[in-house]
Amino acid sequence: MRIALFVLMLLQASSVSAQQRSALPRTSDGKPDLNGVWQALTTANFDIQDHAARLGVPAGQGIVEGNDIPYQPWARAKKEENFRNSATLDHEAKCFLLGVPRTMYAPFPFQIVQSPAYIAVFSEYAHTTRSIFMNSEHPPGPIEWFMGDSRGHWEGDTLVVDVRHFTDQTWFDRAGNFHSADLHVVERYTLSTPDHIQYEATIEDPNVFTRPWKVSFPLYRRKEQHVRILEYECYAYDQEERARRGELGPR
Amino acid sequence: MATARRGFLSALACLLLAGIAVGAQEGGARPAQIAGCPSKSSDFYPCAKAKAAAFKPPRNPDGTPNMNGAWNPVTANGSQNIEDYKGDAFLNPQVSLIVDPPDGKVPYLPQYANKRQDNWDHYIDPIGACWLAGVPRQVYAPRGIAIVQAPNVFAFVGEFAHEYRIIPTDNSPHIGASLRLLMGDSRGHWEGDTLVVDTTNLTDRTWLSISGHFHSDALHVSERFTLVNADTILYETTLVDAKAYTRPWTMAMPIIRFEKGHEVWEEPCIESDHDLPDLTREHKIWLGLPPQ
Repeated sequence: MRIALFVLMLLQASSVSAQQRSALPRTSDGKPDLNGVWQALTTANFDIQDHAARLGVPAGQGIVEGNDIPYQPWARAKKEENFRNSATLDHEAKCFLLGVPRTMYAPFPFQIVQSPAYIAVFSEYAHTTRSIFMNSEHPPGPIEWFMGDSRGHWEGDTLVVDVRHFTDQTWFDRAGNFHSADLHVVERYTLSTPDHIQYEATIEDPNVFTRPWKVSFPLYRRKEQHVRILEYECYAYDQEERARRGELGPR
Repeated sequence: MATARRGFLSALACLLLAGIAVGAQEGGARPAQIAGCPSKSSDFYPCAKAKAAAFKPPRNPDGTPNMNGAWNPVTANGSQNIEDYKGDAFLNPQVSLIVDPPDGKVPYLPQYANKRQDNWDHYIDPIGACWLAGVPRQVYAPRGIAIVQAPNVFAFVGEFAHEYRIIPTDNSPHIGASLRLLMGDSRGHWEGDTLVVDTTNLTDRTWLSISGHFHSDALHVSERFTLVNADTILYETTLVDAKAYTRPWTMAMPIIRFEKGHEVWEEPCIESDHDLPDLTREHKIWLGLPPQ
């Protein structure tokens, strides 16, 4: 009797999860449908680790699994130096591309447009574009791209994206967490409900870290009616300001 | 002048040289025939229209014509010019992309008769300062574009400066007039096998060509994308702007598929652009038309 009840519970549990799976929106080729406007709701762009509030920075629980980033000793000192100089050195301060995975938790919405062979990710921040080429090989390096080269494939219902060919110029956050050009990121996108993607990225960089480490956080679907990606062209606004003040242009 | 123009050219040259795969597009070598039609816009337009009417396009699962892939606006010379131009030390020869009016010229209001030349002489092309190309220029800007389609969405990815445009095709309304965007607000719908795009909410901060063709913030753009064969799109765009032009006018051009396997890659702009101080020594940042 007790065993029968246990089996019944198991059956119920599995039927629920099958129901959840079948309730997920799917594309015409049967893959989970990731199309839509998404946004992270973390404070990780300030600091990917647990951090207290300070002026202009809300407190936040980080996105690093276990909270510790396994820096090599020299790299930990470098991170502290970066932190002290982040107002000028961080790419975000210059309105440059933020790299991967930072673009995915920057405080701006992004839209995914999904086709079987190619998935585009369009962020509102400085019109950042990510092209995810499906079922294909990285071009041979060395190539230095701010956003890296993204190659995707499906493992069951999870989109797995392998990203290589980075520069050493992007940081993970305003706190100075950094990597080298040998950064290798493996992202996993799992649609957990029609309105949530569980996002996970494994970070590997033997020049800077002693072992691979992970970040994870949910992405939320933006549900406002007719929501669209707008523009945040920060360098253009900066040029305009400077031109109006007579600081940029012929004297 | 010479220094600044060299600076401009070195920025442009870097951009152009980087686009090896589309060298033909920006080197001025234009195929004489495309899809069995003469490639010159005024001849291509009626010929391609007739061919498109008889073509049964490949389709996406949702029934819309399948335009996914990487595309090259091969006759546009990377948007150097849009009118007839004989070419000089800086700009390639160009055959006008304008099919209406029949003289192939932008019908500027009389007070702007010399404004394009003034722009070329005194201002930096906004895309040279890494501003978004705007609409319709994004379609024929340097490097070419990728198209990605999903149900109710049609999107362009431009290789040049990683610019994109997302066009909802779900009958949703334009955003409010108080919200202006360099790329405007594009809404599309299918008329038969033609994608028709209506773009509003534009600014006067974008140009139409490196040579200085311009518009005001009253610009309203309509565009039509039709497959002529599996590897050719007929692109038509009509610009209405009562604050800059005497009448609506239309460009038309072929957009052809890149070779199989061509991928649109990352090309940063501001991140790797060291020319701005040089450019701004003698040329101004374009901040729109002066108030009338």
